[in-house]
Amino acid sequence: MSEILKCIINDEEIEALVDPDMRLVDFLRERMQLTGTKIGCKKGECGACTIIMDGKAVNSCMVPVMRASGSVIQTIEGVEKNGRLHIIQEEFINKGAIQCGFCTPGMIMSSKALLDKNPSPTSDEVKEALGGNICRCTGYRKIEEAVLSAAKRLREEV
Amino acid sequence: MESYVGKNIPRNDGYDKATGRGKFTHDIFLPHMLYAKVLRSPYAHAKVTSIDTSEAEKLKGVRAVCTFENTTNKLFNTSASVVTTNPGAEPVRDQTVFTGEPKYIGDEIAAVAADTEKIAEEAVKLIKVEYEELPYVLDPLEALKDDAPDVQPELAHKKNICGEVIEINFGDVKEGFEEAEEVVEAFVKLPRVKQAQMETHAAVASYKGDGTLEVYSTTQTPHPTKMIIAYTFDLPESKVHVKNPPYVGGGFGVRIGISGKAEIIATALTLKAKRPVKYVYTREEDFIASDTRHGGYLKGRLGAKKDGTFVALDTTAWLNTGAYATFGVELLGVCGACGTAGTYHVPNLHYSGYPVYTNQQTAGAFRGFGTPQGTFIVETLVDAMAKKLGMDPIELRKMNTMREEDKNWFPFSVGSVGINECLDRAAEEIGWKEKRGKCKEGKIRRGVGIACGTHVSNAAPFCVDYNAVTLRIEQDGSMVVQSGIPEIGPGSTTALLQVTADEMGIDFDKITMQYGDTKAGPFDIGSHATRTLYTVSQVIDKAAKKLKADIFDYTAELMKMEREGMKLEGGVITSGEKSISIKALAYEAHLRGKQFIVSECLVPPNSLPWYAQAAEVEVDMETGMVKVLKVAAAHDVGKVVNPRLAEGQIEGGVIQGVGYACREEMTYVDNKGFYNNGFHKYMLPTADDVPEIVPILVESNDPKGIYGIKGIGEVGVCPTAPAIVSAVEDATGIRFYEIPMTPGRVLKAIKEKEKA
Ligand code: FES
Ligand code: FES
Repeated sequence: MSEILKCIINDEEIEALVDPDMRLVDFLRERMQLTGTKIGCKKGECGACTIIMDGKAVNSCMVPVMRASGSVIQTIEGVEKNGRLHIIQEEFINKGAIQCGFCTPGMIMSSKALLDKNPSPTSDEVKEALGGNICRCTGYRKIEEAVLSAAKRLREEV
Repeated sequence: MESYVGKNIPRNDGYDKATGRGKFTHDIFLPHMLYAKVLRSPYAHAKVTSIDTSEAEKLKGVRAVCTFENTTNKLFNTSASVVTTNPGAEPVRDQTVFTGEPKYIGDEIAAVAADTEKIAEEAVKLIKVEYEELPYVLDPLEALKDDAPDVQPELAHKKNICGEVIEINFGDVKEGFEEAEEVVEAFVKLPRVKQAQMETHAAVASYKGDGTLEVYSTTQTPHPTKMIIAYTFDLPESKVHVKNPPYVGGGFGVRIGISGKAEIIATALTLKAKRPVKYVYTREEDFIASDTRHGGYLKGRLGAKKDGTFVALDTTAWLNTGAYATFGVELLGVCGACGTAGTYHVPNLHYSGYPVYTNQQTAGAFRGFGTPQGTFIVETLVDAMAKKLGMDPIELRKMNTMREEDKNWFPFSVGSVGINECLDRAAEEIGWKEKRGKCKEGKIRRGVGIACGTHVSNAAPFCVDYNAVTLRIEQDGSMVVQSGIPEIGPGSTTALLQVTADEMGIDFDKITMQYGDTKAGPFDIGSHATRTLYTVSQVIDKAAKKLKADIFDYTAELMKMEREGMKLEGGVITSGEKSISIKALAYEAHLRGKQFIVSECLVPPNSLPWYAQAAEVEVDMETGMVKVLKVAAAHDVGKVVNPRLAEGQIEGGVIQGVGYACREEMTYVDNKGFYNNGFHKYMLPTADDVPEIVPILVESNDPKGIYGIKGIGEVGVCPTAPAIVSAVEDATGIRFYEIPMTPGRVLKAIKEKEKA
């Protein structure tokens, strides 16, 4: 009953024998040991498990693992490149957008999916992109500030 | 010399958390580990007449099944109150690991440990239980009636009262009301709300061959958690090792002690299976089977002179503590002490607090710990009094707020008081003068409101509260701070290093903290009661003084330097013309068999953090929608150690207060239990609902805390709801005595007002 899953995770080709009943989030966390992706509800309601799949932010707890076949996946572990933090990560740290940190990977992935597509989002667009990500610690304002400031820095860089 | 206190030092766990490298309890996977699932009662009150686990045990992959029949039934309490009750008083112990007489929908009957979560889940379904249903009671006022079913017949203090009825008396309230020229009264109903911290309760427990027990845990209080586990299973505390891994996905009070029952259940199973057992609460379990904020009823009377001077205040709270006490007794105490008796100087006070047992899930600690409830009734009364006297609500408040020299009910001095400055600055920021009381018409109406209050900076002397640290200098002159505190999110472990760096004169990045682990440091109560920065900074100060004295004595002798006037700054020890770096000195000492190491212990004093928040709202008279536009949150935190971290505490608290006022509510469905078993059924504020929040930090420099520091963790949430209610009254002319002000409730009130 196992099936072969082939996909790209954080720039690496993966081939694995999986139980098709599994959710993608469990495959990432338990099989790939990529525990940066969190589980807050496992029902698609909190965004803690957000990853980028084929360019889109998705709740990996809602994705049956075989749906990832042939897809390109990025998790929080793949955002830092060559030992250098991504500007979004830096701004989350600098602006005080992190408290307990449990929502942070999901928040950063949703933010990155947004900025990858839309380098100059408005404040409302940021709020909308983060609408599915719950944070119970920060009150969101510093997160929004971090994303807007990261967008600005990213624009300046290119 | 570089000073760190007062600066926006980025939090030192930021990198771990931004990259996903930081480990939480959910992320712990151990070799040979099993997964646990729990069987919960479907009845609000029942007796198990038979339980048969044989089918479950036969299932392949099942390694242990624990029930109330094969597990200790020693009475304990999941909250830290059980190990922090002052000498002379008995803590309430009214819970067991599993129960044969479930007292709420969700109560634990049995648990399974199996090779996978899926097998454990299947096995739970194979446990056959027969129940005899028993009468139950759900409402605290109902539960106090003579004919109500008894929730804890053997353990209740009086009819469905857990612990005791809390009484606060100051002056003579009867005489006070005789003196009063105006009297106002109110009765309010407050909802049960959920902490909804993002990481659900979890534990991974491993019973080792050498008789030690290791427990990874989401607790906010590693040492008390260790004590509760050791007590429940009769293990020596020295053999129980509780640790955060090191991060904890929020807390807000919900895991002061055991996280739900995660550590206890994982321990019961690992003791039986002799393999590591991981138990992670589903979000549903977290919602319906762990502490909430106390909902219930409060009433009050306030008496004043015609000029506005308060002369008497009498309040009563009946709060629903659920089937077990957890923090019920202590919380009703804080509700009275801080919430009702703390803010104003009223010469004649009385308060009664009833922690009432019902057949619902437990209510316990949630940011504010009774203060939001107490503040709500008092601020309702003060607004009513202002109206009656025709006075400006801020002026009335300012003439009655506590002053430094005021005698009051607290068993400690008032300390510095920045509340009037908070009121002024919040008012100015919201535009009080221009906006308050302006005639409102039309479909969309705006209003502004205000509320204020106080809280504590730790639990002493009401409960046991002390902490110890060990400071040591490594052989290269860098420094380690060992403390039993956790890092649940506020950034305490960054702010405390800022304090340590300044105290010691050693660079911030040369100091490391070992924390969140009972092995990392000596006893510490943990993160609760707005205490971590306030109390730990004090014990660090005490230890640092001793450590520096030891370093200086040694340096004077070894280096033939003048002891008098010796200083340590920027990592360099100087005296007169001579100097040596701490790095060189530590190594010289090492070569001579000496390490600088100091442990200190301290019972903290207590300081009162003051606050005032002003809110501006917009009410849609056709839909009943209340939109909070802005909250100006002024907080007297004594001294700001790290402005950005402090703002984070305030903003996070305010948004929880906005949820409390307008959206969040646990609703109970008879025979089914709480309806709110997931995020989609519980209206948490999201990024879209956030008003403009302006944190205003007021520094009153308290004489008791070092640097003038007071607590900050809980206070952000305390006055938000009454400030919003006051703003809605300003906008609509309708005062709400029940929250949350959902569109349905608001619309109903608008229609009723139109009819009248
Ligand atoms: S865990 Fe996937 S959305 Fe909550
Ligand atoms: S930082 Fe704790 S949930 Fe967002």
